[in-house]
Amino acid sequence: MSEFTRDQNIYSLDLSIDEAHILINLVEQLLELLGEGDFHHHYDESDPFAQLMSQLKAAPEEIVTPEDPVLLRLLPNAYSDPEAAADFRRYTEPTLRGKKQRTLQMVRQALEIIVDDDRSGVVEDLDSEIWLMAINDLRLALSIRLEIDPNSFDHFEALSDSDPQKPIYAVYFWLGWLQANLLNLMAG
Amino acid sequence: MATDTLIESDLDISQLVDRPWVTIVWDDPVNLMSYVTYVFIKLFEFSPAKANELMMQVHTEGRAAVSQGSREEMERDVQRLHEHGLWATLQRDDKI
Repeated sequence: MSEFTRDQNIYSLDLSIDEAHILINLVEQLLELLGEGDFHHHYDESDPFAQLMSQLKAAPEEIVTPEDPVLLRLLPNAYSDPEAAADFRRYTEPTLRGKKQRTLQMVRQALEIIVDDDRSGVVEDLDSEIWLMAINDLRLALSIRLEIDPNSFDHFEALSDSDPQKPIYAVYFWLGWLQANLLNLMAG
Repeated sequence: MATDTLIESDLDISQLVDRPWVTIVWDDPVNLMSYVTYVFIKLFEFSPAKANELMMQVHTEGRAAVSQGSREEMERDVQRLHEHGLWATLQRDDKI
């Protein structure tokens, strides 16, 4: 299985072509959900992950509390009071959204090299903080679609291999493993 | 006197005291414990022990106050926590 490696302060990630495809697909879907769709997509409609994040996407002209639960998790309310939350969102959400888009774009550009080369490869000299945040946002997004709770790993293990949810859970837990792997290196 | 008592009961004491604001981080089943600790150290420059203690408080009690100050400062902290994917809100401090 692929993993991050660290040499002094240089971080790398070796990926199989399948893993690179899964990652770039998720990154591109999340970018789209965040309102950025103007780029060449590496997934098509037949991709089993293609519909994960594409529901309910809309680009409202007015900045309002997102209806999509994934967007609401990534761009949460800052106040429990709805009025204060809406006010805060109006003047801060574009910045937050933009930062998340830039983070995902950086990861996408690194993955694109491997995907376009169409063979397994190494993401070299990657920005560990950027990758950590991007992987975290991917996990948060998937967790909403999968309705992750503290018992989800047991649920995943009990699923039959033919269950269509199983590969999605597998990707979610793989991302958690990758994130722990990277955190572990950064702490060392 | 009776009138004094009446006036006093009409006042909301919380409006008289200039309480600070706090940033609350809420538990969620997704963020890794090691990631939450990492974010606390990165954003608030806590010692590893302090960051770990607050992370455990979030994990076991469902929430923890991680910073305190003016409303503007807390809004900035909440925004930075949201950038990192933590679930955070700000509110007036509960304690007077």
